[in-house]
Amino acid sequence: MNDFEPKILAFLCNWCSYVAADSAGVSRLTQKPNVRIIRVFCSGMVDPSYVVKAFSLGADGVLVAGCHPGDCHYISGNIKALRRSFLLKKLLSELGVEEERFRLEWVAASEPQRYVNLINRMIEEVRQLGPNPLRRSYPSAEKEKNSRLRSHGL
Amino acid sequence: MPKKKKIAVYAATGCRACEQAILDIHYQVGSLTRWAELSFWPYILGSEWKKLEEQSEIDVCFFTGAIRTSSDRQAALRLRDKSRLMIALGACAAFGGLPGLVNMAPSEVRKESREETNGPNSRTREKGEEPNLPRMEERVSALSQVVDVEYFVPGCPPRQNFLWAAIQAIAFETESPVRLSFSALRLPQAMAQAITSGVLPPKGSVFSGERAVCASCARTKEKKQFKEFARPWQKDPDQGRCLLEQGFICQGIVTREGCGGVCTAAGLSCRGCFGKTDEVFDPGPKMVSAVSSTFDSDNPIEIASTVDQFVDLAGTIYRYTLASQCTLLSSP
Repeated sequence: MNDFEPKILAFLCNWCSYVAADSAGVSRLTQKPNVRIIRVFCSGMVDPSYVVKAFSLGADGVLVAGCHPGDCHYISGNIKALRRSFLLKKLLSELGVEEERFRLEWVAASEPQRYVNLINRMIEEVRQLGPNPLRRSYPSAEKEKNSRLRSHGL
Repeated sequence: MPKKKKIAVYAATGCRACEQAILDIHYQVGSLTRWAELSFWPYILGSEWKKLEEQSEIDVCFFTGAIRTSSDRQAALRLRDKSRLMIALGACAAFGGLPGLVNMAPSEVRKESREETNGPNSRTREKGEEPNLPRMEERVSALSQVVDVEYFVPGCPPRQNFLWAAIQAIAFETESPVRLSFSALRLPQAMAQAITSGVLPPKGSVFSGERAVCASCARTKEKKQFKEFARPWQKDPDQGRCLLEQGFICQGIVTREGCGGVCTAAGLSCRGCFGKTDEVFDPGPKMVSAVSSTFDSDNPIEIASTVDQFVDLAGTIYRYTLASQCTLLSSP
């Protein structure tokens, strides 16, 4: 298990968390290199389907980060993300993905240190959990297309 | 008189309600044998496998039930081999159905139960020996995960109008009497045109509507907000109001329309037996999103206590579709 490097997918909100991640880089704070970042406009637009798809394609952990409650650029997007996160965690754990692999966190633009601590801690926790139990080999474009057809029952 | 089409009907792991549904097409059942020859149907005709072997080709095979045992798989392969057209009839054949829920059990549990069943009674049979129990497979599969399937007729059991449309369109083809208007009206346009003009619909067509069940549900949607979640036996639903906003998990929003909203009309929430619509990536997260958006709270503790009331969430949402439409658990 020692050579296992977890792959974490992070959905960061454009207005707070992504700025924090950017600023963490500019400030040369030490971060582990296991995170792949996807910038989204709001944590509220991260459909649970994105998270499920990430896990099905082999992500070992998924982080969704947005503005602190009350700070959302779109007023209540982060609250919508919060409402979904509980039921999503329940669904994931029933299907065999440990709850700890999915996290929803609040990171403000002025908190690069908090962001760094957060991802470093999460990477270590996921490393302890081991590889995603439902992980498959990474699909090629052709396979991906077929599996999409199959998922439509075709 | 044109040559009669040869039809085979077979049930793998299932409850045989799909086969009953074929008999339940009312007065049309009389014309079934006028236009088609039932060549192989163990349930009704007591046909043996050797009867299938004797025939050079079957025109249409209606396959019902999920693939759970080695004999199911063998039957699927043999029938595919003989049949020109293979139709997955019912939720089990089309998506894995209720038997597919077994895939959710941890693999050790499945292995244990498999070993118990696959005891000395279930080894491969030598020639001339008495038949034994077929071996259980590791996972339950939908028919399309085992063999190529031309058409799907979803439903648990399939609704008469689509079943009749499918039988007429596929089994009768051009000899079909023009009595398709009701079914054709409810089918996706491309399929309706194909059927009424006497050609086969495109491969992979699903005999059902294209939109979600909500499109044919008569209940009114007001403000979707609830704090209390209820299972169907726990409270009586209000007349005429959306079931989801009353706290029932109704899957109408992610499920294919075509049933005409019969369950929701009777006050039962949609169970999703038609599978997901094409627009939905995976019914699970979509339902999570839809149900969560109705929570009437901003407080994490309150939301968590609402979520605690949900019993067997995955089993409810993927009731009929776990084997083939659950992205996380369907076989690659």
